[in-house]
Amino acid sequence: MAAFDYAPAIVLLPFVSFLVSLGAALYGDDVLPKGGALAGIVATAGSLILSLWVFFTVSAGNVYNQTIYTWTTGAGAAGEEALELTFGLLLDPLSSMMLIIVSLVALLVHVFSLGYMNDEGETGLPRYYAGLGLFSASMLGFVVAHNILMAFMFFELVGLCSFLLIGFWFREPGPPSAAKKAFLVTRFGDYFFLVGVVAIFATFGTGRFAGAESFPVLAEEVLAGEVAVNTFGFAPTTWFTVVGLLVLGGVIGKSAQFPLHTWLPDAMEGPTPVSALIHAATMVAAGVYLVARMYGFYAVSPTALAVIALVGGFTALVAATMGVVKREIKQVLAYSTISQYGYMMLALGAGGYVAATFHLLTHAFFKALLFLGAGSVIIAMHHNENMWDMGGLKDRMPVTYWTFLSGSLALAGIIPFAGFWSKDEVLYEALVHGLGTDGGLGTIFLVAYAFGLLAVFFTGFYTFRMVFLTFHGDARTGQARDPEGVGWNVKGPLAVLGVLAAVTGFVNMTPVADLFDLDIEYLHRWLEGPEGVEFMSALSAHHYLELLESDVTGIHAAELDPLIPGGVSLLLALAGVGLAYALYGRGEPEEYTAKLGGVQDLLYNNYYQDEYQVAIAERVVLPLSRAADKFDQSGVDGVVNGVSSVSLFSGSRVRRVQTGLVSNYAALVTLGLTVLLVAFGIYGGWLL
Amino acid sequence: MVPAEWYLILAAAVFCIGVFGLLTRQNALLFLMSVELMLNAANINLAAFSYYWGNVTGQTFGLFVMALAAAEVAVGIGIILVLYRNFSAVDVTDATTMRW
Repeated sequence: MAAFDYAPAIVLLPFVSFLVSLGAALYGDDVLPKGGALAGIVATAGSLILSLWVFFTVSAGNVYNQTIYTWTTGAGAAGEEALELTFGLLLDPLSSMMLIIVSLVALLVHVFSLGYMNDEGETGLPRYYAGLGLFSASMLGFVVAHNILMAFMFFELVGLCSFLLIGFWFREPGPPSAAKKAFLVTRFGDYFFLVGVVAIFATFGTGRFAGAESFPVLAEEVLAGEVAVNTFGFAPTTWFTVVGLLVLGGVIGKSAQFPLHTWLPDAMEGPTPVSALIHAATMVAAGVYLVARMYGFYAVSPTALAVIALVGGFTALVAATMGVVKREIKQVLAYSTISQYGYMMLALGAGGYVAATFHLLTHAFFKALLFLGAGSVIIAMHHNENMWDMGGLKDRMPVTYWTFLSGSLALAGIIPFAGFWSKDEVLYEALVHGLGTDGGLGTIFLVAYAFGLLAVFFTGFYTFRMVFLTFHGDARTGQARDPEGVGWNVKGPLAVLGVLAAVTGFVNMTPVADLFDLDIEYLHRWLEGPEGVEFMSALSAHHYLELLESDVTGIHAAELDPLIPGGVSLLLALAGVGLAYALYGRGEPEEYTAKLGGVQDLLYNNYYQDEYQVAIAERVVLPLSRAADKFDQSGVDGVVNGVSSVSLFSGSRVRRVQTGLVSNYAALVTLGLTVLLVAFGIYGGWLL
Repeated sequence: MVPAEWYLILAAAVFCIGVFGLLTRQNALLFLMSVELMLNAANINLAAFSYYWGNVTGQTFGLFVMALAAAEVAVGIGIILVLYRNFSAVDVTDATTMRW
């Protein structure tokens, strides 16, 4: 397939733009026109076109799973295949869909950056565009990775790029520390991921995602008793759960799930287009995408699924409550991101593979839209992000308003915008699997569902609190009365995403399909994959469902009309929106959340999670490290120093023999000779 | 014929005088002379045994030892000259700067 031959270029094009911008950055700001933006735009547009080509090739029934480069081959033990570390591409329905999301959002972010960075007269632009290029390239490389080690390497690159871009304004105090925090917190999760990768290679001897010799397939065969692998003395189920949870550590860090979500709100210190890229299509999406990529492995471990569902549901609710009291527009969006990725994790945990992928798709568009819209507002407000200084922007910036409204309706989950369909499917999957599964697992799913359902109300409230405070009512400051205009390069991406946020949901209208018995669940069909390709059978949504319903996992779906749960969540969302309208919708809104008193402080300070994490670091980790240091200094080093001090002391005494007086040496030689003669004499029997 | 024991006693006496000089003197030149005495004590032994056994190998060795002693004196005198140049004396107890 010609498209597959060109597929590596999807990754390489943004990488070339990174190199070009990097070269320009070394020679000064004005070597390239627009500070390197054009190279990035051309590269990501090229990636988008190639991604579309790949997409259409995949939809014609072709998939691709090939190694491109083997960078090291180990020596295999007798009778076993040698371990190979490779780079390669896996292009199937999931990755080709994700390629389009990533390259489209990356392209729009590049265009938007013209308005947000270039037109605002920022300096250091080649450095900025170099970061964006590498960011896009690493995420695209992560998406197409065909083995978990390659995925891990690009996963880390994504983390590095987020560090570079969040800390772009490194001369101010905030961004460098936020960048450091993002890097360290995600790295903490990645330690577990790295151990998990090693464990996967040690257990299965391969890190491939797809094919007969891939680790999800092998895990399935092990549990069916067909093959045996080294499970280090554990029962296979236990060991696979452990490995799955280790990998999940990286996912929780990157996808900003509780308790490693604290880096994400701070990451708002970076330029707004970067926030859009991080939150919609790249960094944060990477975690959820990884779980979806190796879903066959998680689907055979009910414990891991329960953890994923519970963490996801809990995160969705906790983050949503924190979003309610924030004053900065980007902070609200940051917490909504955490919350929405919680929904995706909830869906993945509760067996809703398609629902999670669907929400990943719609969220990418509406969250990119909301961030770019917020960026537009921030330009208009001269980089004042406080919503209490805005108000009444509706009439002064209509394009931003209407597109932002489209994104907000999608985020709040109001029919018929994209977010409604996907969020509804997430909650529906959690509910039916919770009702249909026996025992503790079902209960956990129901608890997670309750969290998610409650979060819907908060989502509706904080989203429209943000919309009303920003765009409605009276202008509260002079800047809001006379905002700065924005150009085509801001409005264009907003318009594209505004339309997408409104219509993307139509690709998978499950309730409508059930109601009218129509065959319009296109995403379901897409993720089933083409028939007749050998390795696709293990990657299809259908197969995942079989795994979930097998005896190993034992998750079953209850029969339930999708209208009732869908109606409930829609009503809750509308209630949230209505409450927001009642409180903030008219004239001069008050700070109602101030009346919450202590609760407001608790929420505004994020449940003091930063504080308790710092406290853990200071009260527990620091004394432990001190004790370890002390033991090392006095215990281990003490033994070494003690041994050496004996030599030192005895040497310092014995060396006195070397007087430098030649007479003494002569005396010693004579004495020695005499002793020797006497000894020989006694021994030989001449004397005595 | 003088018995071999007498030669051996003479050699031992000369050798002990040499050792005594080596241990008690501080003058480098006397050191050198003591060493010559010890070498000659060995030479007496070689010559005596050669005569005793009627074999010239020992006397040949005696010639070698003399050549060696001459060479040794050449080197020794060189060392003593350097010693004098550095310490303005030929007292061996002065040259202790490289101890320890």
